[in-house]
Amino acid sequence: MSNPTLQTAIAAHRYGLGEADLDVVQPDPQAWLLAQIGPADAPRGDGLLGTRAALEHVAAEKEKRQLAKNPPPGTTAEQVLAGHYREVTLADARSRILTATSTRRPFAERLQLFWANHFTVSLAKGSARGLVGAFERDAIRPNIAGTFEALLVASTTHPAMLRYLDNNQSAGPHSSIVARAARRAARMDETARITGLNENLAREVLELHTLGVQGGYTQTDVTEFARVLTGWRVGLQDTAYTQAFEPNWHEPGRKTVLGKSYAEGPDALRQVLHDLARHPSTARFIATKLARHFVADTPPPALVERLAMAYQRSDGRLAEVYRTLIRSPEAWDAQAAKLKTPEEFVVSTVRVLGAGERVLARNDGGALQGLGQRTHAAPSPAGWSDRADDWLGPDSVWKRVEWATRVADRVGGGIDARNLADHSLGPWLTDTTRLQIERAADGPQALALLLMAPEFQRR
Amino acid sequence: MNNTLFNPTRRRFVHAALGATALGPLASLSWAGTANTSGNRFVFVILRGGLDGLYAAPALGDPEFAAARGPLGQYATPALKLDAMFALHPNLTGLHAMYGRGEMAVVQAVGLAYRERSHFDAQNVLESGGSKPFELTTGWLGRALNGSGAKAMALNTAVPLVLRGSAAVDTWAPSALPDPSADLVARLERMYAGDAALSAALSRAKALHFDASMAADMADGAMNGKGGGRYGNFGVLAQRAAEFLVQPGGPQAAVLEVGGWDSHANLASPTGTLSNNLRQLDAGLDALRTGLATGDTWKRTVVVVVSEFGREVAINGTQGTDHGTGGVAFVLGGAVKGGRVVTDWPGLAKRQRYEGRDLRITTDLRSVLKGVLSDHLQITTASLNTHVFAGSEALPSLSLLA
Repeated sequence: MSNPTLQTAIAAHRYGLGEADLDVVQPDPQAWLLAQIGPADAPRGDGLLGTRAALEHVAAEKEKRQLAKNPPPGTTAEQVLAGHYREVTLADARSRILTATSTRRPFAERLQLFWANHFTVSLAKGSARGLVGAFERDAIRPNIAGTFEALLVASTTHPAMLRYLDNNQSAGPHSSIVARAARRAARMDETARITGLNENLAREVLELHTLGVQGGYTQTDVTEFARVLTGWRVGLQDTAYTQAFEPNWHEPGRKTVLGKSYAEGPDALRQVLHDLARHPSTARFIATKLARHFVADTPPPALVERLAMAYQRSDGRLAEVYRTLIRSPEAWDAQAAKLKTPEEFVVSTVRVLGAGERVLARNDGGALQGLGQRTHAAPSPAGWSDRADDWLGPDSVWKRVEWATRVADRVGGGIDARNLADHSLGPWLTDTTRLQIERAADGPQALALLLMAPEFQRR
Repeated sequence: MNNTLFNPTRRRFVHAALGATALGPLASLSWAGTANTSGNRFVFVILRGGLDGLYAAPALGDPEFAAARGPLGQYATPALKLDAMFALHPNLTGLHAMYGRGEMAVVQAVGLAYRERSHFDAQNVLESGGSKPFELTTGWLGRALNGSGAKAMALNTAVPLVLRGSAAVDTWAPSALPDPSADLVARLERMYAGDAALSAALSRAKALHFDASMAADMADGAMNGKGGGRYGNFGVLAQRAAEFLVQPGGPQAAVLEVGGWDSHANLASPTGTLSNNLRQLDAGLDALRTGLATGDTWKRTVVVVVSEFGREVAINGTQGTDHGTGGVAFVLGGAVKGGRVVTDWPGLAKRQRYEGRDLRITTDLRSVLKGVLSDHLQITTASLNTHVFAGSEALPSLSLLA
């Protein structure tokens, strides 16, 4: 092995997902990263459904739920519902981890994971079940290196997002569907089920996806944007499983968002998203989040400024923003300021151990659930936290030790942790850690120490 | 808030229970040193997502209630009556029983100084105790306990913001894996000599897991192997919290979090998410009470249950409610003077709502918390007004304790 530089270790761990041998990053760490900028790899794994097939599956599961209310003779509701979404959820989670652990373009994969978290769609809410993996594969993966606008449009109009943030049920208060529902309800002496707006998606697009909460919008903008969004739905009725603009749900008339007027109809959404993507608040918000994700919880202001400039100059071309990041001096600070999330910890462990699916096969992603980060199940639309404080509680660290111990016990006998530490961490490895690994009682313990070393927990 | 009580245009909306006894002395005295309170316990339960306070504790007696709430005002089984005005959701049977025993007070139309409608900003204000999002990096409970020597505990994998700023915070969440060996932990401690954050987290965790009494508790396995995650089974967490709290040297304060209250759609369904969540919350709080009944811990306990905001008064277009401001808080425990609804009821008519949308906040949550912290944990008024809720001098402390 040639002598790896500190930049080599930083490229492999801060911008990648960990490498067993830093040789793969040589000879030019920056060039290694820059060459990876582009759409994410094709996802690996079996049983993966495209969006259309996933929607059909959702419809079938919905029928199952109906059937379970009156199970056919000789069967129980439990039998009817057996495996409810289980296969799809497992296949999606496996694919995410498998792709991340095996890709040779780990920087692109990191970006895909970043954007999937930025545009969170989560199993924590029933309405997104069966669709989260398809969302990631169809809306995020192909779009991570195009314009932010393309990514935003793909995310906002994807069935998973429309369902997750309730837009599927949001109707214009003066739309024909609401008028019809009211007439029917009056006839049946019931309360109408569909009566108007649900502003969940509108608010989160402004707050979490584009401008940021301080980005300069008001409650009126949220409501007006919600009116623009009416009609963007995914139909699960009958046999048509399509995401489409349904005019009878759309609020008639012009809408005014952030002081600009938009015409009635489906085109307004693209126009609003176009304007949001070009808004200076969005440039700053995205720049801050990227810098926080890769560099530090409180990122250097000069770096944020430079990324925001790159975003604005290029009209939100993300490849330009990534290149600017890689070429910034702040990106290569020797201090590893970020703590890995549980997912990054698990993925990088599998990569440096070359363990492939072995480590994860036995418990179907239960590892991440135990570590507090169940795959595809972020607790809220804000996604998983990107700050160390949120992952540094005593229990959080303890669970990492427990997991590292178990993994090391399973595979540790065949691996020389001293050698692996040198090859994987290179110049990042401190004398303190090397000494502890050398003095370990046995192979598995040495490996557990390596996995829990500050140099491996941080990046 | 007191002034509004005697505003003649609003008086008819002022709830009957709100008399001198309900509000009590407005200025809290400092009780520091007057009683031994190290045995007192405080539990803070955060309902993340924005609980619809009018669904959990409906104002059935308000003349506008039925029209404003539509199908959300009708329950599959009758709501549980509290008084002439208010009731509880039918699934809150445990809380209702506590109310009947005088151990639970409902605070209605309560909320934060923050009046926007972002979950994340509102949770930040709720936990930091500031008046604006992200102006503080520590939490009000952490600051209240800091320097007191009192221990605190988060029933979670991570330390929530509300407890940050206190030196002694433990975290605990269920695990399916066995403990690592003491030898490995000792080596890790040496390896973490140069990393303060990892080192501190590990030594706290070690104390929790290897302490003799705790180890015995863990060994019985009652709580092991039941999953976990950020919002694990609330009942399990509540039982476990009680086990920690009853110990003589246990934490004085515990924080529990429950997610899933963001009910934008399909609220009215009796088998819907919100009704199920309320049932689980109720069962967990009941389990907490049962667990604390050992000795007299429950008698010395105050539990505050609150969400980052309430929701719009009116139903939205999808049988749910969108983000609002004013909400409800539940204050329970053997030390609480319960059996009452504490509110300066603003009314539900459109002109009475905040921005025509939300239940108007007439009680600042800090008044509730200041009252509990001063009367129960003996935090001085000076400390409350300068450190815990800086700049809150003008806010009276509500007197909620027996």
